[in-house]
Amino acid sequence: MDIKSAEKFMEKLVKAGMEYGFEECEASFSSESSMSIDILNGEVSSYENSATSTLSFRGLKNGQMGYCSTNILEDSSIDFLLKSAMENCEVLNDEDPQFIYCDENNKDLYFSQVTDAYSKNTYKSFSELGLKLEKAILALDSRIDAVDFLTISCSTGPYLIINSKGLHSYRDTDGISLMASARATDSDGSVKSGGHYWIGKDIDDFDLDKFLAKFKENLIGKMGAKSCKPGNYKVVLKSEAFQQFFMVFFGNFLATTMQRGLSLLADKEGETIASSVFTVKEEPMYDKALTKIPFDDEGVLTTAKAIIDKGVFATALYDLKSANKAGKTSTGNGFRSGSAVSEMPTNLIVVPGEKSFEALLEEAGEGVILTDLSGLHAGVNAISGDFSLLCEGYLIENGKKGRPVEQITVAGNFYEVIKDIISVGNDIINLPSGEGEFFTPSVLVNSLAISGDDE
Amino acid sequence: MFNDSDVSRILEEAMSTTADFAEVFQEVTESKSVSLLNGQVIRAATGFDSGTGIRLLAGTNSVYVYSSDNDIEVLLKLAKEAAAAIKGNDKGSIEALKALCSTSKATIEIDPMSVPKKDMVDFLRKSSDYALSYNPLITQVASGIAHTSRTARVMNTRGVNAEDTTKRIRLSVEAIATKDNEKQSGRVAPGTMRGYEFINEYPIIEKTQECCDTAIRMVNAGYAPSAKMPVILGNGFGGVIFHEACGHALEATSVGIKNSYFTDKLGEQIASAVVSARDNAQIDGEWGSYATDDEGNTSSDLLLIENGILKNYLIDELGGRRMNAKPTGCSRRQNYSYAPTSRMSNTYICNGESDPKDIISNTEYGLYCTQMGGGSVDTSTGDFNFAVNEAFMIRDGKVAEPVRGATLIGKGQEILKNIDMVGNDLKLAAGVCGSLSGGVPVTVGQPTIRVSSILVGGREG
Repeated sequence: MDIKSAEKFMEKLVKAGMEYGFEECEASFSSESSMSIDILNGEVSSYENSATSTLSFRGLKNGQMGYCSTNILEDSSIDFLLKSAMENCEVLNDEDPQFIYCDENNKDLYFSQVTDAYSKNTYKSFSELGLKLEKAILALDSRIDAVDFLTISCSTGPYLIINSKGLHSYRDTDGISLMASARATDSDGSVKSGGHYWIGKDIDDFDLDKFLAKFKENLIGKMGAKSCKPGNYKVVLKSEAFQQFFMVFFGNFLATTMQRGLSLLADKEGETIASSVFTVKEEPMYDKALTKIPFDDEGVLTTAKAIIDKGVFATALYDLKSANKAGKTSTGNGFRSGSAVSEMPTNLIVVPGEKSFEALLEEAGEGVILTDLSGLHAGVNAISGDFSLLCEGYLIENGKKGRPVEQITVAGNFYEVIKDIISVGNDIINLPSGEGEFFTPSVLVNSLAISGDDE
Repeated sequence: MFNDSDVSRILEEAMSTTADFAEVFQEVTESKSVSLLNGQVIRAATGFDSGTGIRLLAGTNSVYVYSSDNDIEVLLKLAKEAAAAIKGNDKGSIEALKALCSTSKATIEIDPMSVPKKDMVDFLRKSSDYALSYNPLITQVASGIAHTSRTARVMNTRGVNAEDTTKRIRLSVEAIATKDNEKQSGRVAPGTMRGYEFINEYPIIEKTQECCDTAIRMVNAGYAPSAKMPVILGNGFGGVIFHEACGHALEATSVGIKNSYFTDKLGEQIASAVVSARDNAQIDGEWGSYATDDEGNTSSDLLLIENGILKNYLIDELGGRRMNAKPTGCSRRQNYSYAPTSRMSNTYICNGESDPKDIISNTEYGLYCTQMGGGSVDTSTGDFNFAVNEAFMIRDGKVAEPVRGATLIGKGQEILKNIDMVGNDLKLAAGVCGSLSGGVPVTVGQPTIRVSSILVGGREG
């Protein structure tokens, strides 16, 4: 479905919604075109191409917001959408009012960030790059058996929102991602797997040598890994691991989670919750970000802000509903998840410190570097902050990276970890996260419990 | 849904170059759900989606294109693009479509689509009212009912023309206990392919009380120790250990590219002799069941391990081509936006001979895990991890104090050999498994089992 046809359908739907008896109503449309290739054993083993779209409708009646969604944009769907949304309004008894929004000064926004570089993303360019990369990975070390996973994908698509209050705003996005993982067998028969990723907007920005160096470190560096003695260690959470770790607990910074009594950060805005060396900002229009987000999915303008400012919890993220409940204004973080709206972060940035990764190791003296955390979807208690996770990494010996370690767990509590950060590095990486990306360096944590089995 | 001549046109376009096989997958899904928090209905949603996926194979080369737009011209264009991208040697043939074969493993007395959301809300309110007045430590209760009805039709160049309908309903209740800064939860989330009668018959008050009791026990519990020790895994969701540590490594997705520690191990002893296991998609009304898989093959009841010996892999069409083996009817996908691949259905360790009570009394010291969380596994190395939601220490053959925050880690291939006792109390539990072809409903299951040694990662030394 092209955007012009979608727009016509949405205008018709909103008009029909008002005639159906909603007090206010809104339609939003998102669509995505994507392409991806997989490389296996010197061939393009798989190619995918797609076009999907979703239309979501929400309508207010007696203070309740009913939702319904479909991907069938035909006149016959209008009746289904309105009827289902109205039925949903009738069973809801949410005590907190919801809103359909329109800022008179910013009601007709248009923001396109798809560049000409997107047209370089073709089957030919991806397969050439993928085949070259697979060959180069296999040539890195004789112990590498196979590249089990190598995929290059790109996607682009618009988001359009139209409502009965006059809002009519458009934004779009595009991006490329490349992920590869390989397997290597040591002389003793032990197997390790490891890989690397790249995200960008222009395929020509991919730096093969840089990628391979990191790939080698992530796979061959782990060879010969074994467990280590249990105990409390100084821990350097490598940037990728810290990003994953922080995001698992990020729900606690959302106003709705707090208002439901499911976050220990409720009522802590303005209080010190983390180490004074730790600052986390949200910058929706961050210049280094691949995706910039000028307005959220409720049509509210986004703004740059600190979430944690030198250890102080500066602000939670709010959408229209949670902001109203808290007597504040929306921070522009209302995004659709499924059909409903809830708070999500855009681009997050952990403000880097002065020290390089090597300087963090020197500061630690003795300890453990954690490069990979597994089981984040299960091994954490998102509310209490408790975690116990399988991980991999290296020992830190005499202030330098030592032998690789595996089959260990790290356990602790999120709230204690962020208070216990002694230093923040300057080795920033970016990974897709939330509605945007997460930019973070590695951090040094004073003490965490490691369990292992060093026989 | 298409008519047969539309399908034939798409298949012809897809086979116009060098594919040896083409398949059209079309899906229509309806969903409804309600969620309550502390008795307030905070979400009520309805969805209706449809889409089409077209897959082409040439040897082990595959091309997959899909669209949420079912317009025949859009799909013909996609099929043409796919045909241009496939890399085969010869043009394959097309067999005429057989008559449509419709199947289902759903056993429905009351169609959940016909049940008003208000009835669902009233049912869930009984649970939240009970939980919130049960004990002052219980501060929140979240609950929900979600129903999905999906009809998927597969048509391919071998003449397959099959559609399978699944109608699943899942109930969830989570009670949260708060003490000082500590919050812990107890949760049940049964799922089924029976109708709304399942909800009507469900002992909601009794189960809500169990959730509250778990949450209260865990909020009062100390941390689990960190050490290698014998671990007893309770029946039901304890089967997630087998699912993660063994099941995934038996899927052609990893075996087919030799990225599994069970590659080339058919007929070999991969588990202790007390272990037998099955993957059975044919159980009527079970959450993880289906009658016809997403490649149009009849589902199966597959013996995976018999007395520790590896008997079968889970094989899909593409994996079968890589392994030179026949598909086993286990190809699944979350929806049309995923190409299908080998997946589990209802996967469980079969009943053994031990009485669960004897397993506990025969364990001097160890950890007894009564409720497991999720976990994950790297099938190339065998590294796995599981979270434990509720556990107790075993001391002198008796269940002792509750402990929280434990994670079990190890190597899948080792853990299976270390299972030394298998109980006779097999139970299944619903879950959603995430893998290459998206999230699919599965059940895991097992009787109570004991593993002689697992590394427990806790916070106490």
